[in-house]
Amino acid sequence: MVSLNQSIIEIKDVHYQYPGAPDPVLNGASLTINKGDFLAIIGGNGSGKSTICKTINGLIPHYFSGDYEGEVIVNGLSVKEQPVSILSHHVGYVYQDFQNQLMKLTVLEDVGFAPLNFGYPDYEDKAMWALELLGIEHLKDKTVWELSGGQQHLTALAGALALNPEVLIIDEPVAQLDPQHATLIYDKLKYLNEELGKTIIVIEHHTEFIANYCKHVALIEKGKVKWHTNVKQGLLNITELEEVHIYPPQVTQAALQIAHFSDADELPITVEEAKDYFNGYYFHPGTNSHQANLHASHSAILSIKDVQYEVKTLQKERRTVLDIDALTFFEGERVAIVGNNGAGKTTLMKSLAGIIKPRIGEIIVDNIDVKRAPVEKLSSHISYIYQNPEEMFIQDTIYNDVTYFGSVRNLEQNERYEQIADQLDMRDLFPKDGRLLSGGQQRRSSVAIGLAMMPTVMMLDEPTASLDVGNRKQLIRILHSIRDRVKTVLIATHDMQLVSEWATRVIVMEHGIVVFDGTPRALFERVEIWKSAGLKLPQITELSLGLNIHPALSVEEFVARVKEVQLNGANG
Amino acid sequence: MELTDKIKNVLNVQTIKLELIKTAFGKPDVYLANIDPRVLMFWYLTVSILPWFTFNNTILLFIIAYTAVLAVVSRVSPLILTLLGIGIVTELFTIVIVSLVFGGGTFEAILPLLTFSMKLFIMSIASVSVFASMSPERLSDGLLSLKVPAQFSFAVSYGYRMLPILLDEYHQIFQSFRLRGKTPENHGFLKWRIVYYYILVVIKSFYPLMLNIAKRTRLTVEALEVRGFSYSLHNPEAKRVKLSYLKVRTKDYLFILTQLGILLIIWWFGNTFPS
Repeated sequence: MVSLNQSIIEIKDVHYQYPGAPDPVLNGASLTINKGDFLAIIGGNGSGKSTICKTINGLIPHYFSGDYEGEVIVNGLSVKEQPVSILSHHVGYVYQDFQNQLMKLTVLEDVGFAPLNFGYPDYEDKAMWALELLGIEHLKDKTVWELSGGQQHLTALAGALALNPEVLIIDEPVAQLDPQHATLIYDKLKYLNEELGKTIIVIEHHTEFIANYCKHVALIEKGKVKWHTNVKQGLLNITELEEVHIYPPQVTQAALQIAHFSDADELPITVEEAKDYFNGYYFHPGTNSHQANLHASHSAILSIKDVQYEVKTLQKERRTVLDIDALTFFEGERVAIVGNNGAGKTTLMKSLAGIIKPRIGEIIVDNIDVKRAPVEKLSSHISYIYQNPEEMFIQDTIYNDVTYFGSVRNLEQNERYEQIADQLDMRDLFPKDGRLLSGGQQRRSSVAIGLAMMPTVMMLDEPTASLDVGNRKQLIRILHSIRDRVKTVLIATHDMQLVSEWATRVIVMEHGIVVFDGTPRALFERVEIWKSAGLKLPQITELSLGLNIHPALSVEEFVARVKEVQLNGANG
Repeated sequence: MELTDKIKNVLNVQTIKLELIKTAFGKPDVYLANIDPRVLMFWYLTVSILPWFTFNNTILLFIIAYTAVLAVVSRVSPLILTLLGIGIVTELFTIVIVSLVFGGGTFEAILPLLTFSMKLFIMSIASVSVFASMSPERLSDGLLSLKVPAQFSFAVSYGYRMLPILLDEYHQIFQSFRLRGKTPENHGFLKWRIVYYYILVVIKSFYPLMLNIAKRTRLTVEALEVRGFSYSLHNPEAKRVKLSYLKVRTKDYLFILTQLGILLIIWWFGNTFPS
């Protein structure tokens, strides 16, 4: 074990203002990070989280000019006096948009990029060492665009690791990855931290991950470090966290709601701790998992029959990516489609929208044969919201994007745009260019564009990916509020919390095949299915399964089911 | 309707993307791929420039045959060859029209124009066979060793790395335009309105793509700084290590000698039997 008392990074009273920005981003930030720490940096949007990290690797003040004051010491070196190239040997950085950090065509070339730039003759050995450390040496000859998102993130991490820096900074690893890959990345970081003594800094707002992996947590607010403490204490600063839209782990929320008088130190933050904590509690059985059956009372709106879709690979092979016998969706349903990356979720949605046309099978949407109709005709019946909102911004302002569909059809629907603006809180965004908005604003805009087409069915591809918790809550509210505008909503997602709180029906896909079709509650009871499909359950559901009770879908439900509180139950 | 379906099956975006990627990323098992990139570039320049010093059609015809053989050897994708073929046919067609209209009704102008087209054709087919078999990395390193600025040679390899991603993104934006767009009700003579609609969408789709790239590049440049790229620009040691694998070996000399030999024979033959 590396001693935790020796400091490796000292940030002393740093002020910084980006050139051309009206206000400073950092306002006297001070932070001391010890060697071997695993630190989570949290804070609201625009609080200066990323900026503070860039003062550590020297991008500020060397690459970004601007007003800079204060002192940062990394591994005994003053950042002000060292060029970025020297600091790169001490600090590795993985960006949130890590795809843009990959410079070379193949994995080995990319990981060896930095060592080669610094002229190390053994650059390939250094790259192989980093790849082996992360267990991805089998990917070395793959081209980067062949990799999955998780593999790309690991490649970017290996590229930062190749110079063997003492400090690694990872900006929001969970945001762009599915939960399975995010867990994998965190496991690797934990290994680097514990076995090699690397100091790890993550910018993160998923408290479940912070609770499971980090040692300390620092809250940044208005360009200052508000507090810096151990994880447990940090996560229990509930009121302060909620101010910046960060919510404690679900199990902590549950424990807090059940017993306000409990000693803070005893509150659980991980599922394991919660199992002990709630040991001795009694629970009412879950509500009946039978939901009102929409199938009988409502009409079918979308049906798929014997659809197969195959793609050609580089090796000229044909691979079936979608193979569905029969699937029908009804009016009023809120459907979540879940499964690993590559399970066929997006392919299914694109076939329904008519963007891709499977050669075999029949797809009927709103009484229209999708395979015979051009997408221009289909889009007013079924609209598809891309995973990457930027690919939907085809005009210079959001307003023009929202009205594009109507104006090329000469539709008078100003009233509708007004309603959308109010409902989605879009008024400020209308005159702006979509590319310049934040992630949450972009997502809202893409939903607005979809709604303006007055579709009967709306499909969203991973709408909560890369949203922070505040924006996520807003999006879920919007999803509930559009129910009166569209008849059926389909969502492809990895976010099982969204599934349990929102969906009335879940479709689990694996290798292009539907392996499960039913209610979320029914799914969570089928352990073998969600395990093999690689789904990660919400913490509260995992806890209820760990306590051998019917799976609870939300914290509220879990709390409502507690029968009898045993005062001495904690740490029983 | 059936014919368009068949064309769609062959000429869909997926296939075009795969073919382009295969062309761009080279084939390691092809003969030309193992030749030193600098030698290949030298050969390419020779073959492309040489035709401009002659008006001898025999020589030109033989060089065409010779480069065509090389294109077959380096397994150039059929799609690229088809595109090249379409180019030639339309070129020939315009030549006939041009010489009819401006040549006073006779075909006298055809021959000189044909000679000109043959020279262009030699250049195209030589480019295709060289660049389809050379991997982007070798091309970029070859340029670097020929004293081309590192910024440029890096841009070449980075361009290749981005190509598939750009293709995908362009396709998505294109679909975005179609999803919200509206095809003309009235198809017009020979469906010209539909064709016009598609041409507009094809052009318009480039604008969002460019803006998206511009946005993304900011981060890429920042990451380049962190990963030591600007450091390497001033570091001769880094360049030496990077290029250390490039060596002109016996097989490269053999290649260039035989190819020059073949060209000389063609030259001599053409001068002996001019057409």
